[in-house]
Amino acid sequence: MDKAIPEDKLREGLDRIIRDVTQASAGIALVPGEAKPGNHICTVHIGFRRGFHSSLTFRADAALFARMAQSMLKVEQVTPEDLEDVGKEYFNVLCGHIATALYKATNVSARFSVPSFHWGSYSPKDHTEQFVIRYSSGQNEAAELVHHIPAPQAENGGIQSSQT
Amino acid sequence: MAKRVMVVDDSRVQEVQIRNLLEGTDYEVVHYCRSGEDALAVYDQVNPDVVTMDIIMPGMDGLETAQAILEEYPEAKIIMVSSLAYEDTFDEAKAIGAKAFIDKPFDQEQLLAALNTALAE
Repeated sequence: MDKAIPEDKLREGLDRIIRDVTQASAGIALVPGEAKPGNHICTVHIGFRRGFHSSLTFRADAALFARMAQSMLKVEQVTPEDLEDVGKEYFNVLCGHIATALYKATNVSARFSVPSFHWGSYSPKDHTEQFVIRYSSGQNEAAELVHHIPAPQAENGGIQSSQT
Repeated sequence: MAKRVMVVDDSRVQEVQIRNLLEGTDYEVVHYCRSGEDALAVYDQVNPDVVTMDIIMPGMDGLETAQAILEEYPEAKIIMVSSLAYEDTFDEAKAIGAKAFIDKPFDQEQLLAALNTALAE
């Protein structure tokens, strides 16, 4: 049975989930944007390790991560450690919702790696970017969600389960 | 007297959020473990009324940890906490004896409902 999800459906689903989870987790409304995150960027990354082959990164201006940390920890002053911990937890929650949506669409149960946090921009070496969805926070902060697929599958489109 | 809650999560963010949500309630976070291995090591010593257990953690994941605790302490009350909110995960959690499941992110009402459910059984 083919468990692939077309790219347009995947993009639409990821867009809905990231907006819902960001609002619910941190009270921040992301809207479609054009600008890439600036020079002071943080990145969180996960890879699926059961069910699917792809990976996801979320890159954003550090200022956006700082506002998330203030909201989620209910503090005014945040430390670099706060940004890292909140970034990883936010993405962990986000990717859980994505795995849930994938399960509902394909009946494939996915698991993913513990999120990794990087100061600056990061891309997984063995994957290629398939598509990017860009956002603005409405406070001069930019963010982007990147869907990566293993390099040899780049031409197939969408997302393919490992249980076909 | 406040009910004693042990939080098991590799992210301290979750511990801070649960502690904040339980302020002024009948529950109190008395111990925080950053890994399943830590939780297994201290469960007997902490002797909590209820445990909140994250699923995705490095090393032993939450389902493995909950199973190990319940094998040794069958009376333990464990709530699974995750954003992997679908039948496959619910079934795994139920099969090992978890009392409730909370979908991240959650608010105070949802957390208290899960804690009350776990302790009501």
